[in-house]
Amino acid sequence: MNHDSRVQAFVTAFEALRAEVEKVIVGHHEVITHVLTGMFAGGHVLLEGVPGLGKTLLIKTLSEGLELSFSRIQFTPDLMPADIIGTNIIVEDADGRKHFQFQHGPIFAHILLADEINRATPKTQSALLEGMQESAVTVGGASRPLPAPFFVLATQNPIEMEGTYPLPEAQLDRFLFKLRVRYPAIDELNAIIDRTTQSRPATVSRVLSGPAVLSFRELIREVPIASHVRDFASAIVMATHPQWEQAPDISRRFVRYGASPRAAQALVLGAKVRALAEGRYNVSVEDIKALAAPALRHRVILNFEGEAEGVDTDTLVARVVADTEAVTAQGREPFLR
Amino acid sequence: MIESPRIEGLLRRIRREIRRRRAEYYGLRGAFWAAVGGVVILLAKHVVGSAAPWAAAGLVALGAAAGVAYGAARRVQRRDVARVADRAFGLDDRVATTLEWAERADRTRLVDALVADTIARVEALEPKRVVRRVVPREGRILAIPLLACLVLAVTPPIPMPSGRMPDLLPSGEEEREERVSSSLLEETSRQLAKDPLKRPSFEERDFAQRAGGSGATTTGDLSAIFKDTSLASQRPDFNSFMKKGDERLRMLEQVDRLPDLQSDFTNSQYKMVYRKSKALTGGLRPDQISPQKLRELLEEMERLGRKGGANWSGDAMEGMEALEGGQSDRALEAMQKALDKMRAMDEAQRSGKGLRGGRESERGARGRDRARGDGAGPEDQDFGEGEGLMPGKGRSGSPKGEATQRLRANPFDVGVEGESRRGRKDGYDTNLTGRSGSMASRLQYLGVIGQYRKAMEDAITREQVPRDFHDQIRNYFQALDER
Repeated sequence: MNHDSRVQAFVTAFEALRAEVEKVIVGHHEVITHVLTGMFAGGHVLLEGVPGLGKTLLIKTLSEGLELSFSRIQFTPDLMPADIIGTNIIVEDADGRKHFQFQHGPIFAHILLADEINRATPKTQSALLEGMQESAVTVGGASRPLPAPFFVLATQNPIEMEGTYPLPEAQLDRFLFKLRVRYPAIDELNAIIDRTTQSRPATVSRVLSGPAVLSFRELIREVPIASHVRDFASAIVMATHPQWEQAPDISRRFVRYGASPRAAQALVLGAKVRALAEGRYNVSVEDIKALAAPALRHRVILNFEGEAEGVDTDTLVARVVADTEAVTAQGREPFLR
Repeated sequence: MIESPRIEGLLRRIRREIRRRRAEYYGLRGAFWAAVGGVVILLAKHVVGSAAPWAAAGLVALGAAAGVAYGAARRVQRRDVARVADRAFGLDDRVATTLEWAERADRTRLVDALVADTIARVEALEPKRVVRRVVPREGRILAIPLLACLVLAVTPPIPMPSGRMPDLLPSGEEEREERVSSSLLEETSRQLAKDPLKRPSFEERDFAQRAGGSGATTTGDLSAIFKDTSLASQRPDFNSFMKKGDERLRMLEQVDRLPDLQSDFTNSQYKMVYRKSKALTGGLRPDQISPQKLRELLEEMERLGRKGGANWSGDAMEGMEALEGGQSDRALEAMQKALDKMRAMDEAQRSGKGLRGGRESERGARGRDRARGDGAGPEDQDFGEGEGLMPGKGRSGSPKGEATQRLRANPFDVGVEGESRRGRKDGYDTNLTGRSGSMASRLQYLGVIGQYRKAMEDAITREQVPRDFHDQIRNYFQALDER
């Protein structure tokens, strides 16, 4: 198979998977695209939205479209790390001898749905950290690899903050994208009513296997990116840092901590997936701009003034991107330089 | 280098277009500034002559040509051309990425597909102008200097201002002025020629002598120059200056005074009586002193001594009795004795030993307690006149005496009001407002000055000081008393 056909295969698989999800999920086209982008980029995705918007359904549908194992954990305040990772239990063999045997937790799955992740205690939340970063967990001194591909999709509710434990910045940073699931428009709502109140629910067929996902992940890393596009991504990430000498005024005024280098990685990897999903062999500036908000919105920490004035991180990121484009070579007439 | 004539052709075309736009841009800028220069040339047309319009036109053409040449000669980056192509034709950075990655050693296999894709897309492009024209700010207002050039070229030369002040004097007076100034110049040059080494200060002195003379105008006198001004009648008043200078010098001398010390001293009874006695006996023999005034002074001294329970009232009484007996000498001696005792008591009160940091009444009470021997240490004991800290004096067994105490040597001994001190008393705020601000400052100077004066008198009596210096030393101490 030459590269051209592999790219075509990826485009086909991407579109097929999105079509399968959209059989169940009405609207949320961008959210579905970004979830798929995060999955093919090898990252984890956090979905945030009020209850009833179909976050959990979206992830369940995605898992049905993939030939991959799926686990769902409902995070509650009394959930313990062992409930996620697993634990050693004493078992008796046929000879009557007793020994410890590791009982796998629900984390040992290809797709893990961490529903309402902010309802568990930080101790339990941190049980996911190693798995998300290293694709392995350590129990009783033994490191156990997680199945590949391993993909965490977490949901959280921005309201009902009573009795919740907001995710620490270290764990937020491990999510490639943070997606906001917004309320559907009226025609989308009508479609939801029609689709969910019929006697025959939609069936989702499996269109992609685990090895295919892994091979596409390798292909995605081969996508070339021009130096000026890479510089643009770096400049956007740096512009979120108020200490940077070329930071825009909005960052200096409202940002306490800027995005980490993981944000730049997320930007470029996501841009590569987006380029390949559109049938392109290279990353463009538009890819970077399209993925700036999902990659940066949970990595930029506002200062007191920003929170007091109710600054929206999406608006802030959009301003940062626009300012960066204006001050870098992107926004200047090349023949005057 | 990528082997694609279509891509290279696209890049060449865009590069030419960029050069053309740059040439236009910088040509307009050059033409504007050259037109501004042309306006300047045409303003000076009467100096330049009939060639001014041609020079201005040539300058404008030259500026425009220089701008065009500069813009066209500027280097065009290959990657910039590629990005212009990407943006203009919506190629999503394909050309720029292709040019960059086609020559890289770490190119992936996907780059080959990228190159093929880029070539295919470039071949499908319709040629069009992709670089938009950018008019500089100077280009938008280029018409103004060009129009000004045209107007100035067709209008007659503008006369330039002469640079002289308007002539307000009548012509006859002007001629006289010129004669006077020329004669003044001649005179000056003649004098300089006669004595080239003459210093300017000498000339100044000569002028001052003339200016202070009869006031008549003489040749070379500067009053002739200032004859129409009020300066002519004014003379430098050196006397008033000297007078003011003296006042300033006196003010400078007052810097050395100790204001607190003096105000404290002036308020004392001793100072008042001393001044009266000096006024009474100053420069007079005993028989020339008014008995009436001497009696009044002695009565006042006796009253002060009786009131304060001091020991000089007896001397004052003795003086009054001598005065009634017509013995002015004895009366004066008794007055001097009373004055000495008064001074000794005053200085004892002001000495460092007496400064306990509290009020006068407390200090007096404590002093009396110490005199009764209530736990007073050797440091706390008061000294009499001529005793204390002076070398060879006091109750020290050392032949050299005790070392002179310095301020702050003993926190209980310093007693500067407002200073915080350890142990015995509560600390006071050192801020000189409020209670402590109203208290007069006291220094140990007053504790030793009486002893120094006594030592001075002893030294003079024992002929330890040359006789020629006696008056000078006494005057010095008298000056201290007056302060």
